[in-house]
Amino acid sequence: MNKKNKTIIYRILEILCIFIWVFPLIWLVVTSLKLESEVITKTFSFFPENPTIANYLKAFTATNILRWLINSIIVSIFTMGLTLAIDAPIAYAFAKIKYPGKSLIFWIVMAGMMIPPQVLIVPLYLQFNTLGLINTLSAVILPRIALPIGIFILKQFFEGIPNALEEAAFIDGASRAKIFVRIILPLGKSAIVTVIILSFINTWNDFLWPLIAINDTLKYTITVGIANFQGTHGTEYSLIMAGAVVASIPQFIFYFFFKKNIIEGIAMSGIKG
Amino acid sequence: MAIPGNNNKRDGLLFSLPFLLIYIIFMLFPLLYGLFISFNKWNILSGANFIGLKNYALLFQDPKFISSLLNTFEFVLLSTPPLLIIGFLMALAINSKSPLKGIMENIYFIPYIFSMTVIATLWAWIFQKDFGIVNHIIKMYGGSEIGWLTNEKFAMHSVVVATVWWTAGFNMILMSAGIKQISKEVYESASIDGASPLRVIFSITIPLLKPTLVLCLILQVIASFNIFGQVYVMTGGGPHGTTRVLVQYIYETGFTYFKMGYSAAMSYVLFLVIMAVSFIQYILIGKNDE
Repeated sequence: MNKKNKTIIYRILEILCIFIWVFPLIWLVVTSLKLESEVITKTFSFFPENPTIANYLKAFTATNILRWLINSIIVSIFTMGLTLAIDAPIAYAFAKIKYPGKSLIFWIVMAGMMIPPQVLIVPLYLQFNTLGLINTLSAVILPRIALPIGIFILKQFFEGIPNALEEAAFIDGASRAKIFVRIILPLGKSAIVTVIILSFINTWNDFLWPLIAINDTLKYTITVGIANFQGTHGTEYSLIMAGAVVASIPQFIFYFFFKKNIIEGIAMSGIKG
Repeated sequence: MAIPGNNNKRDGLLFSLPFLLIYIIFMLFPLLYGLFISFNKWNILSGANFIGLKNYALLFQDPKFISSLLNTFEFVLLSTPPLLIIGFLMALAINSKSPLKGIMENIYFIPYIFSMTVIATLWAWIFQKDFGIVNHIIKMYGGSEIGWLTNEKFAMHSVVVATVWWTAGFNMILMSAGIKQISKEVYESASIDGASPLRVIFSITIPLLKPTLVLCLILQVIASFNIFGQVYVMTGGGPHGTTRVLVQYIYETGFTYFKMGYSAAMSYVLFLVIMAVSFIQYILIGKNDE
């Protein structure tokens, strides 16, 4: 076989693989544009005969999907913000401040990466029940803000910032807090973006814990809401698919803007949902 | 750095404190509290009743626990090889000279950004028995419909397919990062020596990628042991409990039947299994060809 033929075969194989991989997504969108009567039928046609956005209108008006999206956005924003607020200072302390017990504390914190979240659901439930926080969004947020992998990424980055910058600021009479806010955080921007993205992926896909912590339908996050869609809407597949599309829009936007950072973040951390 | 007015001891602790408080309250304490709960007969209404190791003893006489554990192992064994192999092939493809590599990277990775319940809902529809597209295609070619999610023979495999589609792209990214670190010169000298592409993959890429591959394997096995959502949405653990996995049984025991002590005991067994399997993999593969 000559080289040209080989190249053509490779391209055809690649196009085939791309098609297979993207097909479920096409099918998701196509189904969401069909009438229900077209979906539940023994006679099969790929494209919708009369493309309709009725399912989307119904998803917004007759289901709680908008509410769930808002809940998820609130949960994500608070989780991302609080994660950074507690992870960044300790990462800075690990990287730049000499204090007693540091290496022991560091290893205890890193060991936290080994704990699978599933192990904590029973004790966390009882804890939050005692605190009276079950069925609130705080219950979904609080157990997710301590992110050891985030500390690791930030610490690595902060270590690369030259000490001379800090020393100069100290001589000018700046306090630790001031140095942290004015020098360290702005220089650590790219690591911070990575940590925020990891936190977002974690939170948005979190399923088991929110399923347990929330029992009021109106307080569901989108991930839990979609899981229960099938239970409440049975065979309305085109409506369910429209809901699934709507539920995915925020992630799509996120991917569009932060693709590079998301991929870097995964490559750096190897975190898995 | 000795600078007047700057107290390292005080600053170090102050900067560490917020995280440590949250970490202790929501991770370390529950980890120990859960262990304590597992030594109790603990109903959410009746409260604690210390019974020592009895929950653990009961577990191994519970056929539902045994079958959930075996189903979990089945999922791990079925899902890990395709996830790693497909992820690896994808990583090769997006690091080739193909003009399509940019498109491939996007298309292969995109399923991973969807939330798992969206993926599971979509695949439940694709595999739906009466109107799903897979059965439509089978019928077009004269076959008869298959209960992908309701037949014991196929249900777990269907869950595996959905999972592979969802997260193979994640492994692709990890492996691709590893491939990019292999120096170009190694490949150049191989091509000067006239090595075939297949030979290059097996003699250069795979051996040099080994640390990344081990990392992927360990992460993948941990992730597969923790499977829950796909099963919860696609099959609900059915048919006849043949896809019920451990996390699902932990969830049902704790939050449908409110047997907190028993549920906690199971989650510790899962934790131990995951630790043991990761450790064994690390020892076996980490050492093997040094």
